[in-house]
Amino acid sequence: MAVYRRSSRTRNVLAVLVLAALTLITIDARSNGSGALTSVRGAVSDAFSPLQRATHAALAPIGNFLTGAIDYGSLRAENQKLRQEVAGLQSQAVSSSAAEQQYKQLLQEMNLPFVGSIPTVAVQIIDQGFSNFDNSLTINKGTASGIAAGQPVVAAGGLVGTVLAATSHTATVRLLTDPSFAVGVGLQGGNVASASGQGRFEPMRVTIDSTKLPAPVMKVGDTVVTTGLSLEKFPKGIPVGKVSKVSTPPGAAEPTIELAPLVNPTRLSYLQVLLWSPA
Amino acid sequence: MNPVLTARLRIALFLVVAIVIQTALGTDMRVAGVAPDLMVIGVICAGLTGGAESGAWVGFWAGLLTDMFLTSTPVGLSALTYCLVGAAVGALRASVLQERKLLVPITALVGTAGAVLLFVAAGDVLGQTQLMGGGRSWLIRVMVVESLWSAVLSLPFGYIYAWAARGSVGADRLGAPIGPSSRTGVVPTK
Repeated sequence: MAVYRRSSRTRNVLAVLVLAALTLITIDARSNGSGALTSVRGAVSDAFSPLQRATHAALAPIGNFLTGAIDYGSLRAENQKLRQEVAGLQSQAVSSSAAEQQYKQLLQEMNLPFVGSIPTVAVQIIDQGFSNFDNSLTINKGTASGIAAGQPVVAAGGLVGTVLAATSHTATVRLLTDPSFAVGVGLQGGNVASASGQGRFEPMRVTIDSTKLPAPVMKVGDTVVTTGLSLEKFPKGIPVGKVSKVSTPPGAAEPTIELAPLVNPTRLSYLQVLLWSPA
Repeated sequence: MNPVLTARLRIALFLVVAIVIQTALGTDMRVAGVAPDLMVIGVICAGLTGGAESGAWVGFWAGLLTDMFLTSTPVGLSALTYCLVGAAVGALRASVLQERKLLVPITALVGTAGAVLLFVAAGDVLGQTQLMGGGRSWLIRVMVVESLWSAVLSLPFGYIYAWAARGSVGADRLGAPIGPSSRTGVVPTK
């Protein structure tokens, strides 16, 4: 086996680089997202965004093929499930009229706002989250299109997350599965709660806030929407998730509820940013 | 042009192309929800090809470039992690690891697991508790799947990196474990 001379130069280089990295970490941590390094991050993101868009467009067929190949099993199961749902819907077509009336009544009772009245910006996902520990994604529009930090981001199924930061031509969206994400949701019986993320591909955890009311009676499959109460960061009526698990621990007054997010952004290419801010 | 400078420019280009592919394609290639990390593969290849010093330098710049695209961790955390991983792989390559057929994929497998663990541990120490938000099961899943990704992708990446690094000081000294430079053999310093 070859024996190599250990150089003190290597140790010095390593020490300098480690110190440089620690210095950068300290500077960035102390700037609280408004320092020079944040500006550099934004500038790099803006500089790369045209290249990212072009590469994303060019490599999308390869990405779709690979994603399809990797997810073949789950896609097949999903296809089967959708076929069953279509068959079920066809059999329910007779009662659709009554169901539609019930739906309209439900909307009136819940006083859901007309979503179309909120101006939106259609955006494309150009990066699905760089790190496996990063619960965020990058979209192809920024402040030049009216997007600002804090605005809600939705897709056809419901809430996706919120704009974390925006540069002139890109923005970062924090997904609702991020552990630092929380949203106020309404539960049965007038209860309000906050749903918080627990990591990508993990269900959201619901913490009930209104303890004076009788505990909510929720069942698996119930859809939970945003409350839109004052000081809330989201407008009322955006679907957040479906109840995936309800259990009441022994001695607890309130149930433990888990929500499965309605939207899986890894399967999407386009999102809508609501140009909305809390009143 | 100076061949060492040319090699450095090629390595810089390699890192830029790798990060663009990572953002455009790598993050879509998820198995069990886990995407590969092309940058860490590049860093491991740098350590294998050029030794500890080269691994540390390439790791630092690759990490810094990565930090520009991360949003929830401070700038410098990836630079710190990749720098240490690159240096560790390079030091092991020079003193322990012998040239074998599966040197690159096995080193990529183990190196990536170490990089993931170091990234989360260093982040946790520095107050980035959200990295453990997914729990231990998520951390283990990321370590296992990302390591397997690295083992597979290290073969083409190792070849490309060896081509990019040919003529650099470290590559001349250690030789590339795979790729065009390996034909010249390893020239150790006694």
